[in-house]
Order: sequence, then structure tokens, then C-alpha cells
Amino acid sequence: MDTSTQSSEGLYYKILIGLLVLTAITFIQPSMFLTDYTVGAQMFIAVIKAWLIVMFYMHLKGEKLIGIFVLSTLAIVAVFFTIVGLDVTSFQYQDISPITKEAVHAVSHH
Amino acid sequence: MSAHFEEEYVVAPDGTEHKVQAWQNDTDAGKLGFWLFMFTEVMMFGAMFLSLTYYFTLHTQDFFAASHGLNRVLGGTNTVILLISALTMGLGLVKMKKGDIKTAKLMIWATIFLALLFLGIKAVEWTAEYHHGIFLGLPNLQAGTEHYIGHGQTLFFGMYFTMTGLHGFHILIGVGIMLWLLKRINSGKVTPEHNILHFNITLYWDLVHLIWVFVFPLFYMIGAGDVTGGAVHGH
Amino acid sequence: MSKTFYDETHTAIGHPKSTWMQWMLTVDHKRIGLMYLAIMMTFFFIAVSTAMLMRLELFAPGAQFIDGDTFNQAFTLHGVIMVFLFVIPGIPAVFGNIIMPLMIGAKDVSFPRLNLFTFWLYVLGCIVAVSSLWVGDGFADTGWTFYAPYSLTTGTNVIMTLVAAFILGMSSILTGLNFLVTIHRLRAPGMGFFKMPLFVWGIYSTAWIQVLATPVVGITLILAIFEKYFGIGIFDPSKGGDPVLFEHLFWIYSHPAVYLMILPAFGVVSEIIPTFARREIFGYRTIALSSASIAGVGYLVWGHHLYTSGMSDLAKTIFSFLTFFVAVPTGVKFFDWVATLYKAKIVFSTPMLWALGTLITFAIGGLTGVTIAMIGVDIHLQDTYYTVAHFHYAILGGVVFMLFAAMHYWFPKITGKMYSEVKAKIALLLIFVGFNVLWFPMFIAGYYGMPRRYFDYLPEFEVYHQVAGIGGIILFVGLVYMMWVLIQGWRKGEPCGSNPWNATTLEWHLPSPPELENFPKTPYVDFEPYEYHHGQPVVKFDENYKRIS
Repeated sequence: MDTSTQSSEGLYYKILIGLLVLTAITFIQPSMFLTDYTVGAQMFIAVIKAWLIVMFYMHLKGEKLIGIFVLSTLAIVAVFFTIVGLDVTSFQYQDISPITKEAVHAVSHH
Repeated sequence: MSAHFEEEYVVAPDGTEHKVQAWQNDTDAGKLGFWLFMFTEVMMFGAMFLSLTYYFTLHTQDFFAASHGLNRVLGGTNTVILLISALTMGLGLVKMKKGDIKTAKLMIWATIFLALLFLGIKAVEWTAEYHHGIFLGLPNLQAGTEHYIGHGQTLFFGMYFTMTGLHGFHILIGVGIMLWLLKRINSGKVTPEHNILHFNITLYWDLVHLIWVFVFPLFYMIGAGDVTGGAVHGH
Repeated sequence: MSKTFYDETHTAIGHPKSTWMQWMLTVDHKRIGLMYLAIMMTFFFIAVSTAMLMRLELFAPGAQFIDGDTFNQAFTLHGVIMVFLFVIPGIPAVFGNIIMPLMIGAKDVSFPRLNLFTFWLYVLGCIVAVSSLWVGDGFADTGWTFYAPYSLTTGTNVIMTLVAAFILGMSSILTGLNFLVTIHRLRAPGMGFFKMPLFVWGIYSTAWIQVLATPVVGITLILAIFEKYFGIGIFDPSKGGDPVLFEHLFWIYSHPAVYLMILPAFGVVSEIIPTFARREIFGYRTIALSSASIAGVGYLVWGHHLYTSGMSDLAKTIFSFLTFFVAVPTGVKFFDWVATLYKAKIVFSTPMLWALGTLITFAIGGLTGVTIAMIGVDIHLQDTYYTVAHFHYAILGGVVFMLFAAMHYWFPKITGKMYSEVKAKIALLLIFVGFNVLWFPMFIAGYYGMPRRYFDYLPEFEVYHQVAGIGGIILFVGLVYMMWVLIQGWRKGEPCGSNPWNATTLEWHLPSPPELENFPKTPYVDFEPYEYHHGQPVVKFDENYKRIS
């Protein structure tokens, strides 16, 4: 584990600053840059924050076996998103389904 | 349960000695087991994020509009509170390993305080939403009523209350196990040498924070700015 | 006589004097496994009786003695008990607990107190599930799959059943977690992953599914409860919610769940076949890796339960391809097992007959699964008796038969006694014949269009129901007789030694029954798990578990 607790304390504070800066960026992004891609930008920032938290606060840096487990778990979640995403985006009954955009749009304009 | 046991060694045919790993006092087992438990939480919230993403693709503009109406000041404050609480919990563990039990306990109390503050602010938010007619079970979220806010916004708020609610429930559980941790420290069961419980509870708190790192932008920030192209106040 | 684990135990708290409390509070994995077995077999027979009720009702068209609503509750009860209370805990809860630590040379699992807590969670889940029979409008009538939107609108006790399933899911997750850590941490010195017995590989792969897939159904059930109670809209079409999303989330767990069921069963086959073929198993590494790959690929195929529910054609095609693909590792195992038997001097003991029977019935179950993996064929056969026959051949003919095989194989190790082989074989014959008479006609009935979960049917299907009914009665008699044979064996059987089957894995070097902490001295494992020479086990230990041959 940590041989020097002084340095690990310092690391905690450094990561905190990083996370606070990223949080601030989260707040200014929607009105400052990439404004048409807010969802993507926000997710990108969230992933960076998550990486910092997992690697340093949760001490994953340096853990080999658990690191493999974490990646496998995330891979499986990615598979779920991918396949459901493929299903949903190639749905061919858009026009007659009562819950898709088109039908809902039609209903809400009564 | 017998608290002490004898360490066992076996000699291999080539003469080398090997220690037998017993289930007692196995710190690495505790760590591995807790990470596996955290994977189950990732899968649970993952399935909810999946559902949220699906409905977002079906009702993108409505989601932006609903998100715009959330209180970013309170939500942002909570984000910073949770962030700092992750720091306090982590520092507590560092102090415990160093032998500074007094400061370690102080850090845990600080984390508990921040957690309760988070919940308090959440309660304020939900109360405000309730008074605006936006809450589970209220007529505005029932199809067919006069002021029905529409499928898109209903699904947004359905997922909003569910996910922030379950997240808040996990914060409450976190407070509970932190209080239990303090009790274990006081009774000498958790020490600078044997602190896997403290380590795991810190990991738990990091996970709770991690979930909020994704929940916050997906609900509060996607509707910030003028993303709805002017159609902020509904069709 | 030295003490066995029946004479003394470790408890979670205190030092109880009464035998009853010593069992209730035990943290010994062997006792916990036995307690699971007792409760699971009780619920198994309740679910079997429910099925007999349905078979009798369906013997002729029209209503005989129950009405349609009750029938719906009956098949829901049958499914919920069989899936959540019996098969999913199944082999892992019993034999994973009792035998796996013995096979890796461990003194217990990594978290014995968690193990006890997990057992009591299971009991709580059972109580909640069954008590919904007597509360409010009675047991749920949605089928064990709880599809939205009907599960949202029906007045029967869906919420209680969902809560019960959630609790039982937690129990399954914690069992898997415990086993994963145990297998990673507590293997005897020298036992690398590729020196573990194949049953342990099966339990290991299963544990990954228990930990990663179960939470998905857990949250789905919670979302369904929130939908029913708070109207969050996620599955409710009147608010734009999508019932197909429920199906996706439900089957993302429930398909891997069937691999969770079969992988330990395959592990049992992989233990029995080398023992009674008296030789090393063919293709150890490929069998081990196929277990892992079934666990992995099994996450990718859930959509074949949704072919007729309104998925896009692209998704259907992807899932069909992946479903064909997942059959391959299972095929690898079957060929490895058959190769092990080829030109071997086979001992036709009861466990071996069970394993051989499964090779037939599970092959039918698996192959009929491949037929309905074809989208065009499935449009015709989905939700017919063909599907019902398919999964009963796979689950009953595969998983449950292997549970029975495990019960007969490890019986002498656990009890120290032997049952009557002749009577056990008669029970097996009754079960095997009854099983096939009950379910084979259903393939044909389904092909001709008999729908599943139907309370009534057209007269042209009557003959299939009658034949199935007869089969059901034979099966029921066989099951009861089998339990009687085993119980009599425990009460009055001949004492057997530590290794009546001449098997090679570590548990057979222990006394029957084992001591409380299994191994007084841990062996050093520098050998493969199935080393035979001229039909005899190669590895022998002295009383200090040091290898002497």
C-alpha cells in the first residue's frame, strides 16, 4: 500500500482540485463551448472525473486482478448499451408505435 | 467464533515451504469481495442509465426542457458537497493507516455531516418540485389529465425521482454504515493494522460519489444553456 | 470414531447447546448446503404438485376442477418456485457449498458468516413468495416473467412476488460473491486454475453470472414495483413507457440465468464421467475454457426471447447469430465427454446412468433450442408447447437430472453411507421414462400449434395432453420413490469408506462424512485432478496429507 502517507494526503488534495476544476468546467460548458454537443461534452467530463476517482481515490492504480474485473464489467455494460441501442435505432415501426416521437408529436398537437 | 487460529505451512515435494491461505484475517479477500459487491451496484445503476438513455433518444427535446427546469444551484452545491465528502472519507482512511485514530474519526463525522447536508438539500429540491406539481403520483404526471406534461417530461421526471431517490437511499445507508464503523473503531475492532472495514466503507462512499458524477450532468446539465433552441417553456 | 461435521460446528454467535440452534446458527459450509437442500427439495415437490394439478386439469378440454384465473396463478406459482426457489439456488447452493471447498483443499468459504446470512435471506425470500398465496387477491397470475403492462394492471399480488424475487436475487449474488473470492483466495498451495476440478470451473463461471447478471433483474423488479406503486412511466405505454424495455431488461438477466443453471450441472457431468470411465477426462482445458466462454457469450443472446415482441429486424438477426454461436462451447463439452467414454471400461453406477441420461435429454433440449433460434421457425413456435418442451428438456433433463446425479454421487461422502443401487436405478428408470412420455409429445403438440399457458384447448390436442398426463404421473411416482430410496439410504444404508467410487478429486481423500474443518492438514497439489493409471487413482496421501505416490 502507500509507504508515505504524507504523499498520499497530498495526492488526495491534488485530485480534489482536479475534480473541482472539472466540475466548474461542467457548469460553464453549456453556455461557453461545444454548446451544440452538451450531452457528449458532459459525458466526456464525467468519464474523466470517474477515471480520476477510480484510479486514485479507489486505489485501482496498481491493482492488476481487480483492474481486469473492472474492465470486464464495463465491457458487459457496454454490450447491453450497444445491442439495445442497435435495436432501438433500427426500429422499423416508428410510424405506428404509440410511444415514439412522431406519434407523440402528433398527439401533443391536439 | 474462535478468534485465533494457527497459521499453516505445507512443504512441497521440492522442499519449498508454502503458507496456506486461511479464510480468517484475509484482507485481500475483503477487498476483492467488496469490489465484486460494487460491480453489482454498477450493473443496477447501469440498467437505469440504459433506460434513461433509451427514453432520451425518444424524447430529446422534452428531456432538455425538463432538465432546464431543475435547480442547478442546489444540484451543483450538492455536487461540491459530495466531492468534498469523498475527500474527507479518503483522508480519514489515510489518518487511520497512519495511526491517528482521533483525526480519522473526525473525518468520518465530517463525511456524515456532509452526507446529511446533501440529503437535506435534496429534500428542499424535492419539496419545491412537489409544490410545482411535479412529483410521483401527482396529476400532472398522469396521462389524460388536464395539465399532463406529456410523455417525454413524465418519463424524465419518473427516472429523475427514481434515480436520485435510490441514490439518496444509498447515501442514507452510507451514513448508517459509517456510524457502525465509528462504533467498531471505538471498540477496537478496527485499528491501524486491521482496517479493511474502513477501507471498504471508503470505497463504498467513492462509489456513491461516482454514481452522482454521472447522474448530475444527465439530469441537471443537459438542459442548461439554450440547448432547446428557444423552445424552453414547452411546445 | 473421530468426530464428523455432524458432531460439532462453529456458529455465528454464541455457543448454543441445542442441536436445533447449532444448525440454525452454523457457519459450516457443509451444514449450510444441507439446509439449502432440505428447503429446496420441499419447494421442488410443492412446484411439482402444482404442475400435477395443471396436468390433471388439462387432461381434457374445458374446465375440470379449476377456473382460468386459478390456472394462471398455478403456472405462475410453478414457474416462480421452480426458477427462483429451486433451480437458481440449485446445484451451487447445495453442492457448491458442500463440495467446492473440499475440492480446492479449503477449510471453509472465504466469508462463512456471510454464507449463513445468505441462507437466511433465501429463507426470507421463500416465505415472502409463498405468503402471497394467502394475501389479498392471491398469487400473481402474470407468469414467472412478469411482463408489462399486464403485471402493472393486474390486482393479484405481483408486488410481493417481485419483492421475494429481489430478496432471492440478493441471496444468489452473495453466494456467487462468496464463491468467487473463495476460489481466488483459498485454493490449496500448488493448485493453479488449471489444476482445479472441472466442477470448480463450473461453479466459478456460474458465480460470475450470479454477481454480474442478477443485479440487472434486481433493479428491473424494483423499477416494476415503482411503476406499479408510483407510476414512474418507464414500462407504462399510457405514459410513453415501453413494455419491450421491460422484456429487454428482464431477459438480460434471465438468459444468463439459464447458463447459471446449467454450468454447475455440466461441472457435475465432468466429475462423474472420468470417475466411472476410470480415466482422465478428454480435453480438460477445452472444457474449462468452454465454461468460461459460455458464461461470457451467454450475456449476448437474450433477445431470442423477444423475437415476437416487436424488436427491430436488425436486432433479431444479431441475436439469432449469437444464439447459434453460444451452442458451440456446449458442443465442445459434449464431444469431450463422449471422447472420454470412447473405449473406456465404463462402470454403470447410478450417478453414471444419470449423467448418461442427461447427455441424451440435454442434447435434445439444446438442439431444440437451436431450432427455435431460427427467427422464421420461432415465429411459428414461440410460446407454444414446443418452447415448453425445449426448456423442460434443458432445465429438468439437464440441470435437475444433474442435481439428482450429484445427490447420488456425493451421497456417500456426505452421509458416510450407501443407498440401494438397485432401487436407485429403478427410480431413475421411472423418472427417465416418465419424463420423456410427459414432454416429448409436447414438441409435436407445439409444432401443431398448441399454445403455452393456455387453460383450454381445441379437441385435436387432447391426445397429447393425455399422453403427457400419464407421463407426469409416472414421473411423479419416480421422484417420490427416488427421495424415499435416498432417505432410506441415509437412515439404514451400509457404511461406505472414504472413496467408494475410486474417484480422484480431493474430497474423496477425506473421511465420509468429513470432519468439521475438512482437512486436518492441507495437501500440496502438484497433480492434475483426474489422474488414473490402469483404472486406479494415481495420487495417494498419508494421514498427514503428504503425497506418497
